[in-house]
Amino acid sequence: MRLASAGFVAVLVCAGLRAALAEGIPSPTVPSYLDETPTSGLKHTFAGEWEFMVGGGAAAFDCNADGFPEVFLAGGENRTQLFRNASAQGGALKFAAQESGLELESVSGAYPADIDGDGVTDLILLRVGENVAMRGLGECRFERANEAWGFNGGDSWWTSFAATWERGADWPTVAIGSYIDRKEEISPWGSCTDNWLLRPAGGARKFAAPVALKPSYCPLSILFTDWNRSGTPSLRVSNDREYYEGGQEQMWKIEPGRAPALYTAEEGWRFLRIWGMGIAGYDLDSDGYPEFFLSSMADNKLQKLAEVPASGTPGPGYADIAFSIGVTAHRPYTGGELKPSTAWHAEFQDVNNDGRADIFVAKGNVWEMPDFAMKDPNNLLLQKADGTFEEAGDRAGVASFRTARGGAVVDLNLDGLLDIVTVNRNDVSEVWRNTGGKADAHWMQFRLAQDSANRDAIGAWVEVRCAGTVLRREITIGGGHAGGHLGWVHFGLGSDTEADLRVIWPDGQAGEWQRLAADSFYVVERGKPPIRWQPK
Amino acid sequence: MKKFATAIMAGVAMSLALAAVAEAKDKVIGVSWSNFQEERWKTDEAAMKSAIEAAGDKYISADAQSSAAKQITDVESLIAQGANALIILSQDASAIGPAVEKALAEDIPVVGYDRLIENKDVFYLTFDNKEVGRMQAREVLKAKPEGNYAFIKGSSADPNADFLFSGQMEVLKEAMDAGKIKNVGEAYTDGWLPANAQKNMEQILTANNNAVDAVVASNDGTAGGVVAALSAQGLAGTVPVSGQDGDHAALNRVALGTQTVSVWKDARELGKAAAEIATALAGGAAMDAIPNVVKFTTPGGNETNSVFLAPVPITKDNLNVVIDAGWVSREVVCQGVAAGSVAACN
Repeated sequence: MRLASAGFVAVLVCAGLRAALAEGIPSPTVPSYLDETPTSGLKHTFAGEWEFMVGGGAAAFDCNADGFPEVFLAGGENRTQLFRNASAQGGALKFAAQESGLELESVSGAYPADIDGDGVTDLILLRVGENVAMRGLGECRFERANEAWGFNGGDSWWTSFAATWERGADWPTVAIGSYIDRKEEISPWGSCTDNWLLRPAGGARKFAAPVALKPSYCPLSILFTDWNRSGTPSLRVSNDREYYEGGQEQMWKIEPGRAPALYTAEEGWRFLRIWGMGIAGYDLDSDGYPEFFLSSMADNKLQKLAEVPASGTPGPGYADIAFSIGVTAHRPYTGGELKPSTAWHAEFQDVNNDGRADIFVAKGNVWEMPDFAMKDPNNLLLQKADGTFEEAGDRAGVASFRTARGGAVVDLNLDGLLDIVTVNRNDVSEVWRNTGGKADAHWMQFRLAQDSANRDAIGAWVEVRCAGTVLRREITIGGGHAGGHLGWVHFGLGSDTEADLRVIWPDGQAGEWQRLAADSFYVVERGKPPIRWQPK
Repeated sequence: MKKFATAIMAGVAMSLALAAVAEAKDKVIGVSWSNFQEERWKTDEAAMKSAIEAAGDKYISADAQSSAAKQITDVESLIAQGANALIILSQDASAIGPAVEKALAEDIPVVGYDRLIENKDVFYLTFDNKEVGRMQAREVLKAKPEGNYAFIKGSSADPNADFLFSGQMEVLKEAMDAGKIKNVGEAYTDGWLPANAQKNMEQILTANNNAVDAVVASNDGTAGGVVAALSAQGLAGTVPVSGQDGDHAALNRVALGTQTVSVWKDARELGKAAAEIATALAGGAAMDAIPNVVKFTTPGGNETNSVFLAPVPITKDNLNVVIDAGWVSREVVCQGVAAGSVAACN
């Protein structure tokens, strides 16, 4: 009975879509964001000279097992800071600075990951200097683990991080991106230093010595993603053309037991030069393959596979559809400046819970760059029913003119509405609480767990079937700009009060479809029925 | 085939380039601006438009609003509107390729305006950047024929930075070889940023114990950073400094004596030349038959037909040129200038 009525609803939705196309697409619901920076206790500034013109990452993850994500903010020349989340469910955002062992200098970014698979989230600190792997001890305490894990932190201007668990491995493989040679301040061009790949040391639960990913072209974001659904993620690398010579965007094949190899033009990889700052992936058109938003200066890119064959895996050629769907976001839409803008952290998230992924982009001038806008507002691009996007950053209240870098779009008070944190360079970090927009928009959030070294099931695909379509998200560690989050995976459901969930686990095995009620959190442990979760 | 016939025709008309212009009546000239709302292009457009209309042709335009992706569709749309020649101020030379190729495939000539487009079949029109460099060096050399020279170059990511520097070196080579001039420090300026130029200049001053007698700075923004660094050491006004662009602040520095020269590119000349070239090409003239055309090998190795306009060095002695042209007001140029010290301010 239920299924039949769900099918009926789907038909209605599709019919509704066609009618909307004919008459002009209605604007999506604009969520309302409240600036809670002054009252939240999130007092922090990412600061620094030349070596911190990039970076400024935010990481969100739960380190005290209460389900509320903590926020860690890179400090550059300032102290980095972990903020314990002291918000009540549905309440105003509250944070308390917490001593954690993470208080290092020269931190530009951070990515959470359970490296040692002990069920406690660890944190990789990207630094100008030596990277540090910080092992989570519980209760938001951390200790250095470079030596214990064989994690070579190197000595470079590190910018970006991504992690995957290769097939059969009981230890992660991580990639770390490196920028220009910081000793070449007077003439940095062409001095891009080596990106590294750290794979498991065979047998021992630790990393082997790093392998240089040559050539390296000054990436500011990297991401392991199973872009062609082959079951083996590749490493996408988004590079800053300002500093490389002869470079372009890159994608590395990282196949178990084999040396990394670049996808080539012969295989279909297309030459593209951008000021690559951030990568975000999402299957926007529900064809099973992720699209990629690449943030840059001026035009941003939205890449879609150029060809999807009827059978077999697609080739690595991507077409840019940013202009046709309205997400180039290439210059300020408010504030009166006409010069192009500078984009950094980017994320796909459904900020109005209408069942369509939206895009948040943190914006800010590099450093008084005269050919680019100084007053450069963040973007909140809301997806419409026809798959095009509409700018709503100003109407939503997140069009800050501060010089943003990193950020996180994450439900900080567990009310089902995604809040936003940004890290600004040489200025205060900001936090906005999403106070909603429309009453009958529903959501679900999931946390995956499996009994293996890859506890958080990185590389899994979470599928939610509602309103006659399948929403699909890949669980990844990497991308964005200098920071990421690990924790609840959010889906907006529109007016649906129930939806079906299925997880395709990292080894490719698909779980059963399960019918679940909306507006709830679920812990999804592999092989077990999802357990509804509520904060204590 | 069509191209070949056109070339022969143009060959016959080579000595009659102006006649070709006159024949180009009723052609449509499509102009693709990278970001038209930026104030500086309005001057170019006015000159371009009046020259196109004077030839009896029609001006149509599109504004990419700083989006390389929009510019590609803009060019397609100008072609669809029947453009017989295109003038393109590219937003991103590395992204405009497909649109340019489409135009060329339809035998529509393309003029790359001010910014280089890497394609051997695209006409390139800009000011002579090497000459800008020469003019900068000439004026500084006049003021300081011997001594320690510092070079504040542009952004290494911008090919113009090297054109400028090679022009500067050409003029100074003889004095350098003779040992009269010593290069005591040179630095690229990341992003052409005044703050970076200032930092680089400070380092050069420190490394030389302030014994720097002249600074060849590649534009007015970097000159501003240089003058700030010199001021901090009490050296501003005694050390000659070059620049370019006719920035209002720089022209004021020229009047005040803290900057020696600002090489000025008159946008009206550039706009007019683009219109005349596009009109001639639309009328069937061959690229190599355009008056003052030279062969120019691009950084990407393409041999293009190019016209390089000569800029004007603005010094204390001819500040009236920019004021009379309406480029800047007398009040702005002469702010804070001691009475009687500069002719144009009297």
